[in-house]
Amino acid sequence: MQIDPVGLSLVLLQQMCVYLVVAYLLSRTKIFIPLTHATIRPPHKLACYVIFSLFCIMGTILGMPVVHAIANTPAIGAVLGGLLGGPLVGLGVGITGGLHRYSLGGAFALAAGIDIVVQGMLGGLMHRHLIRKGKVRTLFDPVKAGALTFAGVLLELLIDLAVAKPFDQTLEIVRLIAVPELIANSLGAALFMGILIDRRALIERQSSLFSAKALAIAARADGVLRRGFNQENSMTVARIIYEETGVGAVAITDREKILAFIGIGDDHHLPGTPISSLNTLDAIAHNEVTYADGNEVAYQCSISPTCPLGASLVIPLVGEDSHVIGTIKLYEPKTKLFSTINRTLGEGIAKLLSSQILAGRYEQQKALLAQAEIKLLHAQVNPHFLFNALNTIAAVTCDEPEKARDLIGDLSTFFRMNLKRPSEIASLAEEIEHVNAYLQIERARFSDSLTVDIDIPDSLGRVRLPAFTLQPVVENAIKHGTSQQLRPGHVAISAREDGDQLVIDVQDNAGLYEPKPAGQGLGMSLVDRRIRNCFGPSYGVTVASDRDVFTRITIRVPLEAASK
Amino acid sequence: MITALIVDDEPLARKELRRVLSKADDIAIIAECSNAIDAIGVINREKPELVFLDIQMPRVSGIEMLSMLDHEKMPHIVFLTAYDEYAVQAFEQHAFDYLLKPVNQTRLEKTLERLRRNRGPQKIGELPGASQLRQIPCFGQHHVQLVRMEEVEYVASGVSGVCVVTTDGSELPTELPLHILQDRTPLLRCHRQYLVNIDFIEKINFLENGLAEIRTRRGQNIPVSRRFFPQIKERLGIL
Repeated sequence: MQIDPVGLSLVLLQQMCVYLVVAYLLSRTKIFIPLTHATIRPPHKLACYVIFSLFCIMGTILGMPVVHAIANTPAIGAVLGGLLGGPLVGLGVGITGGLHRYSLGGAFALAAGIDIVVQGMLGGLMHRHLIRKGKVRTLFDPVKAGALTFAGVLLELLIDLAVAKPFDQTLEIVRLIAVPELIANSLGAALFMGILIDRRALIERQSSLFSAKALAIAARADGVLRRGFNQENSMTVARIIYEETGVGAVAITDREKILAFIGIGDDHHLPGTPISSLNTLDAIAHNEVTYADGNEVAYQCSISPTCPLGASLVIPLVGEDSHVIGTIKLYEPKTKLFSTINRTLGEGIAKLLSSQILAGRYEQQKALLAQAEIKLLHAQVNPHFLFNALNTIAAVTCDEPEKARDLIGDLSTFFRMNLKRPSEIASLAEEIEHVNAYLQIERARFSDSLTVDIDIPDSLGRVRLPAFTLQPVVENAIKHGTSQQLRPGHVAISAREDGDQLVIDVQDNAGLYEPKPAGQGLGMSLVDRRIRNCFGPSYGVTVASDRDVFTRITIRVPLEAASK
Repeated sequence: MITALIVDDEPLARKELRRVLSKADDIAIIAECSNAIDAIGVINREKPELVFLDIQMPRVSGIEMLSMLDHEKMPHIVFLTAYDEYAVQAFEQHAFDYLLKPVNQTRLEKTLERLRRNRGPQKIGELPGASQLRQIPCFGQHHVQLVRMEEVEYVASGVSGVCVVTTDGSELPTELPLHILQDRTPLLRCHRQYLVNIDFIEKINFLENGLAEIRTRRGQNIPVSRRFFPQIKERLGIL
């Protein structure tokens, strides 16, 4: 076989092409991603070492035997391994590649082995140098990589001349392989780096596209579903997703029916109709993403056999306690494939919408709670009582101005106490003050037809209980008790200790108590529920009644409030 | 003079209304009542032209009291209420007049002015919830008893007035005339002088001349007149 530098150059360049094709194919896989960054993490460094060692060995194997040596391209793997992975990786790749080359034998075995180690070191030193200078981007410069490899090959040739014996033969071989090796290795390294940075640019472009889409959807859909997970709002969100992702169609469902559908097939996928797709029902039942790509997993529209949609991605929307509240569905027509971007984006959108719906429900509950509180406050200020009290004051103003002034004072006290929040804790003394103010007015209203006895030892005045416990009970005794009978009314309020409990009895002589789910029962059960919430189930309100004779309401709270 | 009656369970409220009314020279307050049951008696006896009627009163509310009055001889009713959005709306719809407590002098003057212009009988629609009686107010010597419909066996009218006979045999006089009880209770007219509670009929004995006699579960006999017999047969499904 005729060996001349030109022919050898062509052969080496051919080899390099095979080498680069392998590199290109590898670059399409995930294992290549760590190589696109100047990495400092051990697992990435390990990946870097393994990959470049393989390239290094491949460069040796693809080599061309020339007399006693091999014209080859392991320098690319060694130099780039060091350049991208740092001195340690460079040394590792060099030693691995070097041992492999040495094991193949030949006159150049030792020299070539040393060459590879030196080239790995060279790459590694350059890596350290550039990192220290803060020029990370320069690591990926194809021209610089080519130049460094060029230098590496020059070194290699010098080492060969120094180490390999006999010198004459070595000189002859070096003369023969110098130019082809310099060209093939430098060019190969530069192109390899080119593939690498192309790949990196692609990933970056994809992720920036992804981020842009995700951000656009997030910004446009912000707060829409917070206003309620219904047909109208779902339609708005579906339109935004449809416009931003460019998929064939978008649907949003709750657990039972389609809330929104926009895009291809909206003539037969109608909002308001029940879910018929098994994929969707599966996604709801098992809280998992179901993906029917139309190839591996068959997709067929469950409504119309002529539907042009060919693939669907169903992602559950998840509410409290991982409970599925609906789904979001992306479709592509039979003529188009699902892009991975839209697949990942779909899952992200589902998360975004789920949290919006959750936030909306939370706000709704907060509003309901506030409403309940307002209702309670309204109940405290019974307008009937207020206007009757004012009427009573109007009646006594002329003849008994002193009494009128007293009544206005009582009314003030009563309303001041009413302004307390129902969640507060009050002392029994404060509760009695509240009741007294109320009773002064009621006694004035009903004059002789209402008498009240209060028998509460002063020593119990400091016992704590929820505010608005006593007054509503006394008001009930008058409103639904004594004021509903034709004979004079009597109310007795007493308190006593019973073991570690404070027991308050409110008894009227009407005996008109009737257990009702609403009305009278509401105020009473509210008082009862609050005490139980506050102190536990062994406390609360009980009722005893004998028709037309008496009704007795008994309140039990702990003497020493170990309030929760 | 316009004769007026004040019905309110609060003494000071009555006093206050009397005070604001004292400026109207042509109003003569003939009585005050503290409950609806007393008021029915006073209205039937004294026939006042004008009644100021509080709504929230013990046992029988002002609205309920209306259904115990004879619509033919209905006085002018002015409702009094401290606060009741629903009621205020109802009064307007049914052409009743109403005043809010404490009573505003000017507003009261308007009410009286309207009355002075039109002293004919008040043409009013029935208030919702006022048409059917749940209970019949009966009067003892010193007390008032409200008899629930399910306690009434029959009602008889005699020389001394109308009497409600209960399932335990007590006979209680009432101010309500038979035709009002017939109209506003489920009681069935079986005779010119009798209403019977259909739930307590045990059997009907056919007599001569197309007459009959109802026997109640307690063993009381109530006459059935020829005139009302067909209606009874119809109600009981006897052909």
